[in-house]
Amino acid sequence: MLPTTDRFKKGAKETLADPVIQMSMEAVYTGFHTNRQSAAAATEGWDEQRDRGRAIKEHTIANLDYYLEMLTDKIDENGGNVFFANDSAEATEYILNVARARDVKTVIKSKSMVSEEMSLAHEMEAVGIEAVETDLGEYIIQLAGETPYHIIAPAIHKSQDQVAEMFSEMTGTDPGQTPEELTTTARGMLRETFQRADMSVTGVNFAVAESGSIVLVTNEGNGRMCTSIPRVHVAVMGMEKIVPSMQDLGMMLRILIRSATGQRISSYVTMINGPRREEEEDGPEEFHLVIVDNGRMKLLADPKLREALYCLRCGACLNACPVYRKVGGHSYGWVYPGPIGAVVSPVMSGLKQGKDLPFASSLCGACREVCPVKIDIPNMLLHLRQQVVEGPPEDRSVGRIERLGWKAWRFGNMKSSRFWAGGKLANLLGRPFARKGMFRRLPPPLSGWTRSRDLPITASSPFRDRFKKRRPNSSGGEE
Amino acid sequence: MAITGRDAFLGRVRGALGRSPGAPELDSATHIGLSVEDVRRSADDVRREMTESADALLDAITESAATAGWKVRRVASPEDAADVVAQICAEAGATKVLRSDQDIFASVPVDAALESKGITPGIATVGEAGADVSILKQAAFDSDVGITGVDYAIAETGTVVLHPRKGLSRLLSLAPERHIAILNRGDVLPSLDELFTLERADYNDGAIEGSMNLISGPSRTGDIAATIVDGIHGPLEVHLVIVG
Repeated sequence: MLPTTDRFKKGAKETLADPVIQMSMEAVYTGFHTNRQSAAAATEGWDEQRDRGRAIKEHTIANLDYYLEMLTDKIDENGGNVFFANDSAEATEYILNVARARDVKTVIKSKSMVSEEMSLAHEMEAVGIEAVETDLGEYIIQLAGETPYHIIAPAIHKSQDQVAEMFSEMTGTDPGQTPEELTTTARGMLRETFQRADMSVTGVNFAVAESGSIVLVTNEGNGRMCTSIPRVHVAVMGMEKIVPSMQDLGMMLRILIRSATGQRISSYVTMINGPRREEEEDGPEEFHLVIVDNGRMKLLADPKLREALYCLRCGACLNACPVYRKVGGHSYGWVYPGPIGAVVSPVMSGLKQGKDLPFASSLCGACREVCPVKIDIPNMLLHLRQQVVEGPPEDRSVGRIERLGWKAWRFGNMKSSRFWAGGKLANLLGRPFARKGMFRRLPPPLSGWTRSRDLPITASSPFRDRFKKRRPNSSGGEE
Repeated sequence: MAITGRDAFLGRVRGALGRSPGAPELDSATHIGLSVEDVRRSADDVRREMTESADALLDAITESAATAGWKVRRVASPEDAADVVAQICAEAGATKVLRSDQDIFASVPVDAALESKGITPGIATVGEAGADVSILKQAAFDSDVGITGVDYAIAETGTVVLHPRKGLSRLLSLAPERHIAILNRGDVLPSLDELFTLERADYNDGAIEGSMNLISGPSRTGDIAATIVDGIHGPLEVHLVIVG
């Protein structure tokens, strides 16, 4: 996917003015976020499990080469194929070659964010292979020609009416259908596609190093269809998606699913240990695992950003984030939106272009609080901000005027006498322009502040002076 | 089979980590270091608990399965279980019913019970003759009901565990509109953790199947206007018949 991370401010402004999206986005808080809170409260030892989840990821990532080797040796033993891809182009080429070699006509896709990095469905369509997204949310945005809005709820920004209209145009159904009726319509369309598919592409929620297994978590059952029907199954994963042992899965599934939707468990969890066994009734004859870097190595190499690779892609930080809920998923301009996206998207797709993303946060810490593996997102955002500010001048997000402003601020704050004098001076100079103690509109570069709120003028008589006058006697307090 | 591009890739990972090749110091957080004997011992403990706490675990799954979205019926005998299965099929107006070829149907007389309602069940296998797998696929998609046993159930989450294998098609519990699973006393695990202990022991013994499915309720979606709807790709309705 080509990044449009440089459009962040523009995209955010447009989304804020879109009443349909603003209404639809309420659900990420009232639904997902609230459900997550209840699930966390109802799980015994929730916090200890998060600590253990984090410790497992920390250990695995610190020894990633060892576990990647173990995982791929086991897949090889199980009769599967492995391809290591440095970037999206290599991964895409490998998958297209598999499809061509097996004369594949129709590919069914289960939700995979890595395949979004590759724009894989587009690439397949471009060479004449039918590629159908089968997660209902992904299916809707594929029909709309859009990209996912949320990591686990790709079409969360679409209203019921918008979906009904799209389906109506396609199939001639009533444009006033309810979610239940629309689901039935989609069921009919997709079941027909499932039956004729000859290859599938799925993501991977966890890969187990010691057994060469991959685990898929779904509610709809499309992941199961994809691993039951076609002749060929290709799973795509970011290189970080490993746990060492099968025994680690119970706890990992618990913290992932409860953080994602608040369910105790999803309707389906599927573990695949290579291609079908010879005596089995059905299932893919061929299994491929594609392990993708595509910029993750940059996160791995920076000790301050490495923990971004602990992410389980549950989406809890998106739901908790007051910025994401307002500016929406598309504003972030690449595959991963929200707080974790503000870290990984600019690093993976280019910090120069995505320099605004690390600043799209109030650093309130809600993301860190809900993260199932306690990733310190605010700290990483600060680290990236520092890189942006201290980087080469052409990469800086901070303009000359702002830098000048900060220099003046520094000068003014170096001595208390300057600070007090500055406050009084600002009052004196600003008084003619203020109304009822407020600035309603300031000239650029301060106009951004006053566009949506007023700025109060500094006090004519500062607190320090008033406090001195009110003291009953000067010997009462410390001198 | 083939592994492509690994050496260079792992070299870059080591470069990024500043790490030289070799096994890591084992971390107490993961279970990776456990020996085959340790795992086998844990698995034996789990199996003992399944038997010793069978009644309490049956009570627990009765409740958690209902929470997960299963329609739960608990019966006293295998004959009663067969009758309940036939009754569910009849009430659903099912004409096409498929069952697996699992051992449980030797003790639970589902075929006879169905015949008494005028339904002749098919068996979802490709068969010795090596018939085309597409026939099985078509049958599964066309069926009103798929009936299977249960390898394990999980009390914590209300989950039915199935390992597709000879006699148990992957699609049978997925493609038909309804899935009925029959659970025997003694097959219930306390939590996900015990399941993975058993899987791991099986893996060490070379006895692991090609895949495993954890099923916890009907196929569901919340992708249209964040409204939860049952029955998107898989079964609209799932029934758990508990014997014991």
